[in-house]
Amino acid sequence: MPVVHEFSIAEALAAQVLTYAPAEARLRGVEIRVGPLRGLDTEALQMAWEAVTFGTSMAGAVLTVEQLPWSVTCSDCGREWTSPVPFVSCTCGNETPSPVGTDELDLLAVTVDDPTDEDET
Amino acid sequence: MAEQIRTVRVPIVERVLEANDDIAAVTRAELARRGIFSIDLIGAPGSGKTALLEATLQQLAERSAPRRRPAVLVGDLATRRDGDRLARWCERVVQISTGEGCHLEAGQVRDALAGVELEGVDLLFIENVGNLICPVGFDLGQNVKVGLFSLTEGDDKAAKHPYLVTAADLILLNKVDLAPYLKFDRAGFEADVRLLNPTVPILEVSATTGAGMDAWFEWIDRGVAGLLE
Repeated sequence: MPVVHEFSIAEALAAQVLTYAPAEARLRGVEIRVGPLRGLDTEALQMAWEAVTFGTSMAGAVLTVEQLPWSVTCSDCGREWTSPVPFVSCTCGNETPSPVGTDELDLLAVTVDDPTDEDET
Repeated sequence: MAEQIRTVRVPIVERVLEANDDIAAVTRAELARRGIFSIDLIGAPGSGKTALLEATLQQLAERSAPRRRPAVLVGDLATRRDGDRLARWCERVVQISTGEGCHLEAGQVRDALAGVELEGVDLLFIENVGNLICPVGFDLGQNVKVGLFSLTEGDDKAAKHPYLVTAADLILLNKVDLAPYLKFDRAGFEADVRLLNPTVPILEVSATTGAGMDAWFEWIDRGVAGLLE
């Protein structure tokens, strides 16, 4: 799996996350949502994220990737379903149902240590 | 003191490439203002991107009408070879060395365009870095994406790269002059493309022999005239 593709995405993500996570708050997690057209591999993304954030204030934050599925429609029997891969056969025997994918690449949320905790001590 | 630290989840929902897309939107508006039709050419290493552009620029320069004034941006990892090849046929060529980068980004295109005399230009080719995956997801501010495939790559390339096929406004199938020597299932290739993108035009060309190039020029002329869907 070529990680270079995921690397540039991880770099853009890290720059974006920095603008949301207050400098004093420790970043624990980052959630993103990825459409199937992007062809992004979850493990490669997480490896790239680890590398990009190494030695920064974001180090150790867990990247969670929600992979959206393909929508597949069978032109023969009309069945519609979702699939992690685009080219799949239908249960009716049709070997070429139409796959439709989307290209979301969204930062959904960040998780940080609650800054109000420190005030209580 | 040993109590668990509570965490808070901050919902955001924003495009990861928003910064890139914002720059691309500015470039798109500027190119539109100048009446420049712009093409992002995406294809694998060795698919013939530079050869296609060489043949295209040469024939555009030699034909009498309609006149085109093209400019070219060329993305390449480390060398200037592609830019030098194209500069023989076009005065306005800028090489963008991406270093380690496997694709062009909107900021690189914006910066490169700042170094081109765009007065009178009506056509911009952006030759992306040889790659079928990364370039597709980065908006550069272009009007259209052209996906370049070639017979030597094998007939399953389209099926393996659904993002490019889906995003492409035109698919060029290059090196058709080699068909007698290769096992390339053209019907199967087209069927894969059609499953992903039912309406995209597919043009067969040979940059080497010139076969099919007239249809490519016709498509470009329609694009410059604003007649593409």
